[in-house]
Amino acid sequence: MTAYHAPLRDHRFVLHELLQVERYRNIPAFADAARETVDSVLEEGGRMAEEVLFPLNRSGDEEGCHFEDGVVTTPHGFKDAYRTYREAGWVGLEGNPEHGGAGLPQIVATSVGEMAGSANLSFETYAGLTMGAAHTIDTHGDDAQRETYLPKMFTGEWGGTMNLTEPHCGTDLGLLRTRAEPREDGTYRITGTKIFISAGEHDLTENIIHLVLARISGAPTGTRGISLFIVPKFLTGPDGGPGERNAVTCGSIEQKMGIKASATCVMNYDGATAYLLGEENRGLRAMFTMMNRARLGVGVQGLALGEIAYQNAAAYAKERLQGRALSGSTSPGSAADPIIVHPDVRRMLMTMRAFTEGGRALALWTAFALDMSRHDPDERARRDAEDLVSLITPVVKAYLTDMGFETANLGLQVHGGAGYIRETGVEQFVRDARITQIYEGTNGVQALDLVGRKIPAHYGRALRQVFHPIDQFIADAAEDEDLRDMAGLLGKSFGRLQLATAWIGEQGLKDPEQAGGGSRDYLRLFALVVVGYLWARMAQTARDALGRGTDERAFYEAKLATANFFLTRMLPDTSSLLSKIMSGKDAMMALEAEQF
Amino acid sequence: MPDIGKAAVIGAGQMGSAIAAHVASAGVPVVLLDIVPEGADNRNELAEGAIAAMLKATPAPFMHRSSARLITPGNLEDDTGLLSDADWICEAVVEDLDVKQKVYRAADSARKAGSIVTSNTSTIPLSRLVEGMPEPFASDFAITHFFNPPRYMRLLEFVPGPNTRSEVSDSIREFCDVRLGKEVVRAKDTPGFIGNRIGIYWSYVAMSEAIALGLTVEEADAVVGPPMGIPKTGIFGLVDLTGIDLAPKVNATMLAMLPPEDAFCREFDTEGPLVSLLSDMVADGYIGRKGKGGFYRMLRDGTARELQARDIETGEYRAVSKPRLDSVEATKDSGLRALVEHPDKGGRYAWHVLSRVLAYAASLVPDVAEAISDIDRAMTSGYGWKFGPLEMIDQLGCDWFADQLKAEGREIPPLLDAAAGRPLYRQVKRDVQQLSPEGEYGTFEASPDAWRLADMKRNREPITRNGSASLWDVGDGVACLEFHTKMNAIDDGTIDMVREAATIHERGYKALIIGHDGDDFSVGANVGIALFAANAAMWALIERKLSEGQQAFLALKYAPFPVVGAPAGMALGGGCEIMMHCDAVQAHAETYIGLVETGVGLVPGWGGTKELITRTFARKGRPGGPMPPVLDTFETISLAKVSGSAREALDLHYLGPQDGITMNRCRVLADAKARALSLVEGYEPPPSPEISLPGPSGRATLTLVVDDVVRRGKATAYDRVVAGALADVVTGGETDVTRSLDEHRLLALERKAFMALIRRTKTLDRIEHMLDTGKPLRN
Repeated sequence: MTAYHAPLRDHRFVLHELLQVERYRNIPAFADAARETVDSVLEEGGRMAEEVLFPLNRSGDEEGCHFEDGVVTTPHGFKDAYRTYREAGWVGLEGNPEHGGAGLPQIVATSVGEMAGSANLSFETYAGLTMGAAHTIDTHGDDAQRETYLPKMFTGEWGGTMNLTEPHCGTDLGLLRTRAEPREDGTYRITGTKIFISAGEHDLTENIIHLVLARISGAPTGTRGISLFIVPKFLTGPDGGPGERNAVTCGSIEQKMGIKASATCVMNYDGATAYLLGEENRGLRAMFTMMNRARLGVGVQGLALGEIAYQNAAAYAKERLQGRALSGSTSPGSAADPIIVHPDVRRMLMTMRAFTEGGRALALWTAFALDMSRHDPDERARRDAEDLVSLITPVVKAYLTDMGFETANLGLQVHGGAGYIRETGVEQFVRDARITQIYEGTNGVQALDLVGRKIPAHYGRALRQVFHPIDQFIADAAEDEDLRDMAGLLGKSFGRLQLATAWIGEQGLKDPEQAGGGSRDYLRLFALVVVGYLWARMAQTARDALGRGTDERAFYEAKLATANFFLTRMLPDTSSLLSKIMSGKDAMMALEAEQF
Repeated sequence: MPDIGKAAVIGAGQMGSAIAAHVASAGVPVVLLDIVPEGADNRNELAEGAIAAMLKATPAPFMHRSSARLITPGNLEDDTGLLSDADWICEAVVEDLDVKQKVYRAADSARKAGSIVTSNTSTIPLSRLVEGMPEPFASDFAITHFFNPPRYMRLLEFVPGPNTRSEVSDSIREFCDVRLGKEVVRAKDTPGFIGNRIGIYWSYVAMSEAIALGLTVEEADAVVGPPMGIPKTGIFGLVDLTGIDLAPKVNATMLAMLPPEDAFCREFDTEGPLVSLLSDMVADGYIGRKGKGGFYRMLRDGTARELQARDIETGEYRAVSKPRLDSVEATKDSGLRALVEHPDKGGRYAWHVLSRVLAYAASLVPDVAEAISDIDRAMTSGYGWKFGPLEMIDQLGCDWFADQLKAEGREIPPLLDAAAGRPLYRQVKRDVQQLSPEGEYGTFEASPDAWRLADMKRNREPITRNGSASLWDVGDGVACLEFHTKMNAIDDGTIDMVREAATIHERGYKALIIGHDGDDFSVGANVGIALFAANAAMWALIERKLSEGQQAFLALKYAPFPVVGAPAGMALGGGCEIMMHCDAVQAHAETYIGLVETGVGLVPGWGGTKELITRTFARKGRPGGPMPPVLDTFETISLAKVSGSAREALDLHYLGPQDGITMNRCRVLADAKARALSLVEGYEPPPSPEISLPGPSGRATLTLVVDDVVRRGKATAYDRVVAGALADVVTGGETDVTRSLDEHRLLALERKAFMALIRRTKTLDRIEHMLDTGKPLRN
C-alpha cells in the first residue's frame, strides 16, 4: 500500500522564501496572492489530493476506462470525485477572472497541479486539458467565443481537449490532413481522424470542447496552411447549455502502459460543425503560445510522480529491516537495521529528494516567469520573462519527466523485491512516469527545440535571462564565506555550460547535426546547472533563515544538506556531459542506416 | 599621349553638372558653362545654381565639398574664352543635333589645337554629330557616355568615330579610367550603344511579359531580380526609380533609330497593354519615386507607413506582399537553369524574359560591341547586374540554350552557331578566354596595373587559408590578405589569419597588402558572435578575443615588412581599425570609413581609439595642447562619424598624409601593391607612440560637453554612458599631462571601457537591433 502526503512545507518554502511571490502583489494578478490566501489554497488543494484523488489512484489503474458504442466510462469513483473536485472550484483556479476563473497566479495553480498529479495523474489530466483548451480560447478567441465557453470550462462543467495528432502525423504537423470546408454562415465542416486524444470522450462533463487543427480547403501545404478550430461535442443550445450533438465521435480508446484511467481516444470528425479560433492559417502559432504552459504542465507531472515515489521509498527504507549498517548496527535491539542505514540506499533517497525539491523550485520558478510574461506591467519585463519561459520550457519538460521516471525507478529499486510486485503499488509510478517522457513532444524533440530554436533565437538573447543571474550569483556568492564552496562547484559547471553553449551556437550554424547529436546531453547539462543554481539559492535562503533564528532548524538544515548533495553528487555529471557533447556526432553517426 | 590637366563641361543640366563635379572630385579643374537664361540677373545662373544645388544633393555628386572650388562656372556668351586652355571639353547639352552642333562650333573656335571634345549623348550617332564639322574637329572628337549619377555609376561607354585620332582615344580613355575611375567600355556607333540598347529591350520585355503572364509587380521583381543576379529593384522597382515618364520617351527614341528588323522594333506592340498602362500612369501623375509613386508607393498616414504595390489589372494599390515562388526558391540551391526550367509562373516568366534578352544580347556582337566581354561589362557596370547576359548563357549552358531556342523555332544568334556547343568563356590554365564571333577563343590580357584578386587566384592555391580569410601570392614578393566572410565581418578566423599574415616574411615575402574584390572591405567585427557570448555571460572569453585582436593588429603594425591596406566600400569598426594599423592605405575613392562602435553601445576596442588619438596628436600643424586632439577624437568616435568618401576620411583622420586614393576600383590592389613595394627598400617598422593625456581634468571637460548635448535632447541618457566610457579612454584614465602613456596602456583602457559596456543590457539591445535591422538603436 502506498501513501501520499502533500509536501506543503516545501511548496511554502519555494513560493514564499525562495521566490517571495508576495513581493509582487502590486501586480494585479498577484493581488490575491497574499501569503495566507496562498497557504490556505495549498492546504485545501493538498487535502483534496490526499483525500479525494489519491484513494482512486490504484483502483483507477487497475480498472482503466471502458469503451462501448462510442461511450467512454471512467473508472469507478471518478465521476463523484470529479464532481467534488469541480464544485470546490479547483478546475478554473488560474482562469481569467473576467470569465469566471478564480484568477490565481499560474504559480499557485502549478503547486496544486503537482499535488493532484502525485495523488492521481490520470485524474489530473482531465482538468489540466480543460484549462489548456480554455487558455487557448482566452488568448485567441473573440469575445463571443470567450463568453460562450470559458465560464463553463472554468467551472469544470465542460471539458476541453487538444486535437493535433493524426495517424500519419505526430511531431511533424505539416503533414496534417484533417480538412475544414468553409460554410456560407462563416462556420466550417471538419472531416478527419485524430488519434491519441486525451480526454477526447468521457463521462465527467456534460460537454467537451475540442480544439482541432485542420487545413482549410485550398490552404497552402505544410505548417503555413494549418488553422485552429473549436468543435464542441454538443453545439451550444439557445440557453447556452449543450444543444444538438455535433458530428464528432470517439471511435475507440487505447490500452496504455500507464495513466490508464485517462481516456486516450481516437476521434472521428464527420463534417462536424466547427468555428475558426484565431486567424486562418495561423493555427500552429496559436498552438505554440499554448505549448509553453502545456509542457510545463507535463514536466510537473514528472515531478509529481517523483515526489510520491520518494515519499514511499523513504518510508519503506525506514521500516524495512534487513542486514546491518557497515559501520556497526544502529538498532542492536532489533533483528536487523532498517535499510536506510546503507550508503547506497541513501544515494538513491538523496538523489530522489534532491531532484524533487530542486525540480519543484525549477517548475515554480518557470511558472512564476510565465505569470510575469503575461502580467508584468512593464513591457520589457514581460519580454524578458517570455524569453526565459521560452528557453526554459523544453528543459523543464524533458528534465522533470526524465528525472521523474528515474526517480520512480529508484523508488522501485529501494523497495527491492516488493517493488515489482503490483500490490505494493510503486510500479504504477514507473509506468505512469514513462509516458510523460513521450507525450506533449518527446524529450528528444524538446532537446532539439532547445538547441535548434531557443538557444540561437535573437543571437542567444533568451540565455541572458538565465546565464546573467547565474553569473551574478556566482560572483556574489564567491564573496560569501558560507557559500563560497557551493559557488565554486556551481561556477565549474556553469563554465562547462558556457563552453557547451558556445560550441552548440557555433556548430548549429555550420553543421546542425553536430548540435543535434549533443542536444540531449546539452539539455541535461543545462538543467543540472539551472537546478544547481536554484539549489545554491535555496541554500542561501536556508542559511539566512537559520541565521535569523528559527524553530524549524531541522527543515533548513536538511535543505542545506540536500543542496550540498546536489552540488557535490549530482551536478558534477556536467563534466561527462560536456565531454560527450564536445565529441560531436561522429561516433553516433558512424554507421550507414543499412547497417542497423 | 597628352595629359588632361584641365577640363570643361558644357551644359549644366543634371548630367553635365554632375560630370563636372566628378571631374573636380578627381582633382582636375573644370569649367562649367551653360546658356544665359532669358532675363537673368546673374548671367552664370545655371552653372552656379547647379553647383549650389549639388552641394546639398544626396547622394552627393562631390566626394568632398571643397572640390566645388575646382569648378569655374560661366556662360556660353561671355566665357568661351575659358575653354582656350581646356584639354578636354565635354558636351552634355540637350539631345538636339542643332543645339549640339552650335555648341561644337562655339567650342571649336575657342578651344586650343589638339584638345579633345566629347559628347555625352545617349541617342545621337557620332556620325551625325560631326556631320559638316571641320575635319580637325572630327579627329579630336568622340562620345563619352556617362551613366547617371556619374560619380556612382561605373560604366562609361566610349565611342570613337572613324576619324578620331588614336592619341585622342588613348588619352581620354586613360583619363576616364585612371582619373575618373570609370569602367571604360568601347562601343560602336549604334543606337543606344550597349547598355541602353540591351537595357531598354530588357525593360520592355520584362514589363510586357509580366503583364502577359499575369504576374504581380512584386512577383515580377522577385524573378527578374536577385535570382538572375539583377539588383532587387527588379524591373518595376527600377522603372519607378528612373521615372515612368521617361519610359515611353526612350522607347520612342529607340524605335525611331533602330532598323525595323531589330527585335525591339519587331516585338514592340504600340497597341499593347504596356503602352497604355504607362501612358495612363503618367497621365495620373504616377511617374515613379520622384512623383507620388509608380508601381510602388509609400503610403504615409501620420507616423504609419505602408509600402504598397499597384495592381496592374485594376490600377488599385494594396499592401506589398512578399511573393512565394517555388521557382525563386529553387534558384537558391540549383542556379539559373533551375529557375528557367521551373514549371511555375515565375519559372515561365523567367524563361520568357531571359530567352529573349540573352538571345538579343548575343546577336549584338560584333555590330554593337567588338567583344562579348564588352557586352557583359556594360551590363554589370552600367546596370549593376552581377553577371552579363553572355555569362548567363554560359550558366544556362550555351548548347542547352541554343537547343531550347531551336526547339521553340526561334532564331539562333550567329554567335551561338559559332560556339557550336562550346562555352562563350573558358578558362585555360591561368587564362580566361572569350569566344569571338568567328568562333575563335582569345585570351584576356590582365593589365599589370589593373587587376582583380580573382585574376591572381585563378588556378592557384592560396599560401594559406581558413574559413574567414586567405593569404595569396600577388607576385613580386607581395602577399595579399583577403577576407571572405559574410560582408567581410571580422571573426576569430580573420584574426588568426591576420596573425599569420604578420609572419609572412618567414615565407619569403617582402610586403603585404590587405584587400579583395568584394563590395565592402569589412563591416567590422562579427558582433553577432560577441552578442551571443555576452548573452551567455562569457566575459572572460570576450576579453580574451578583444586582447587577441589587439595583439594581432599590433603584430601587423610592427611586422618587419611594409603593410598596405586596400579598402573599398565600407571599412567600419574593426575594418577601420585593421586599416589604421597599416603603414599606408591605398583606398578606393568610394571608401566609407568610420569607427562606428558607439552605435552599438561600445567603444573601438581593437586599437582604433588608440590609433585615432595618437594620430591626431601626431598631426602636423594641429592646435597646441592636449585638449584639441582629445576633443577631436572624442567627437569623431562618439558620433560614430563615417566618411562619405576616402577624401572625407582624411578630414576625420581615419586616413592621413601617408595614404593614397585610387579612383578606379580595378586599380586599387595594383596601386596598393606598388605602394607596398615602394616602401620595401630600407623599411623600418614605425616607432611605438607615446602621448600625454589630460586624465580626469580632461574627462571633466568632456562630461560637460556630453551633458550639454543630452540636455538639449540630442543624445540619450545611455549615449552619455557610452560617451563616458569613451571619455575614459581618450583622456587616458587616471593620468595627467606630466605622464606619458604607451600603446599598451591605451589598449588596456580600451579593453576596460569595452568590457564595462558589453555587460550592459542597453548595449546588448543596440547590438541586437543593429544585427536585425542594420540601423542603430537610439535607446
